Amino acid sequence: MTLAERIESYREIVEEWLHGLYHGMVEGPAFELIEKEAEDTDDAFMLACFADAFGIPSPVSYYTAELLPYLADEFAGWERRLWDRGTLVERKGQQYHF
Amino acid sequence: MEKFVFFGGKGGVGKTTVSSAYALKCASEGLDTLVVSTDPAHSTADVFDQPFGDDPRPVEGHDGLHAMEIDPDEAVDEHLMETKRALADQVSPAMVNEIDRQIELAHRTPGAYEAALFDRFIDVMRGSEAYDRVVFDTAPTGGALRLLSLPDFLGDWIDRLIEKRTTSIDLYERAAIGDREARRRIDEDPIIARLSDRKELFEFAGRTLDEAATFYLVLNPDELSIRETDDAIDDLDEYGLDVGGLVVNRLTPAPDDDEHGRGATYLRERCATERERVTRIHENFAQPVVATIETRVEEVKGDLLDEVAAELDIAAATTTGER
Repeated sequence: MTLAERIESYREIVEEWLHGLYHGMVEGPAFELIEKEAEDTDDAFMLACFADAFGIPSPVSYYTAELLPYLADEFAGWERRLWDRGTLVERKGQQYHF
Repeated sequence: MEKFVFFGGKGGVGKTTVSSAYALKCASEGLDTLVVSTDPAHSTADVFDQPFGDDPRPVEGHDGLHAMEIDPDEAVDEHLMETKRALADQVSPAMVNEIDRQIELAHRTPGAYEAALFDRFIDVMRGSEAYDRVVFDTAPTGGALRLLSLPDFLGDWIDRLIEKRTTSIDLYERAAIGDREARRRIDEDPIIARLSDRKELFEFAGRTLDEAATFYLVLNPDELSIRETDDAIDDLDEYGLDVGGLVVNRLTPAPDDDEHGRGATYLRERCATERERVTRIHENFAQPVVATIETRVEEVKGDLLDEVAAELDIAAATTTGER
């Protein structure tokens, strides 16, 4: 193996590690944080659309029902999140990887 | 005269008679007229002595006159079927049941009936190019008024939904750091597209009610109906809708002067109290009384309808040109 090749492979390893480190420390958490915030906003949206799922009469549920076919995945996710979520602190706390 | 004319009032004061008579008057003055009954207890069919359905149908024996009776139940069912069809197209069979329950629920809520009625309302207004005048015979005061307040209210609600949805999609787009694909995009979102369509419909309805509609309230010369009319005017005013005039229906006919039997005395006294009330209506309400119609011995239909139509002092054709 020539010197040039050894330097090349060494640089590749370092690059991969650095990228992994960057992703783990900066990209990943930031992405998670923003996406969680988006999910929270989604939840508020879902609640405004389908309050009647919880027995709160909603004057617009007739209109929002037609959105359900397009919201199916989110709807299921929303229901799951609502059952899973312990406390607000817990959910907000998930962003810190202890 | 506006294109859309609404007749409202307490139950049983003769809204259907008055609106049918007015529609007839418009038709006989050469306007293509559609009379729409939105009262769940339809009686247009009885006035014209022929059945009507959910689609406009020419009234036999009267040129230029069409009629329809809106059936919200049918509209609710249709909406339900449509949504379920979309569900089957979009969602995997495993999930259908879960969502299906929610859809059923939404169509059984008390508001569904009103929402469906309102949708049909907008349909009729949007599809009315063929007519010069559309006459709405509305349900008794409470229900009809609530219906007319819907555009503003629903518009606000939809606005809030769109705002929330936009925020969350915006966040998803921002979460797409580096070469990650955004989970959702605003310009591809079917939800925002549908909500915006709805919003446009509500805005159309609000605009039309504002700019191209006149309201007339029908009342009888009795205390209850005078009071309810007063309340209705206040409510309409709150929604920013003007009442164009009042129609006093069911006045007792006066007996001839030379009659002095028990019946004649009763009628004379009744006429006196009613005359006093009509005077009060004239004085107390800012709106003009556009017609006073006497009670007929028989049901108002056929030739009697023409007679009543002639008594209506509501201009029919004044603005054909400037429409």
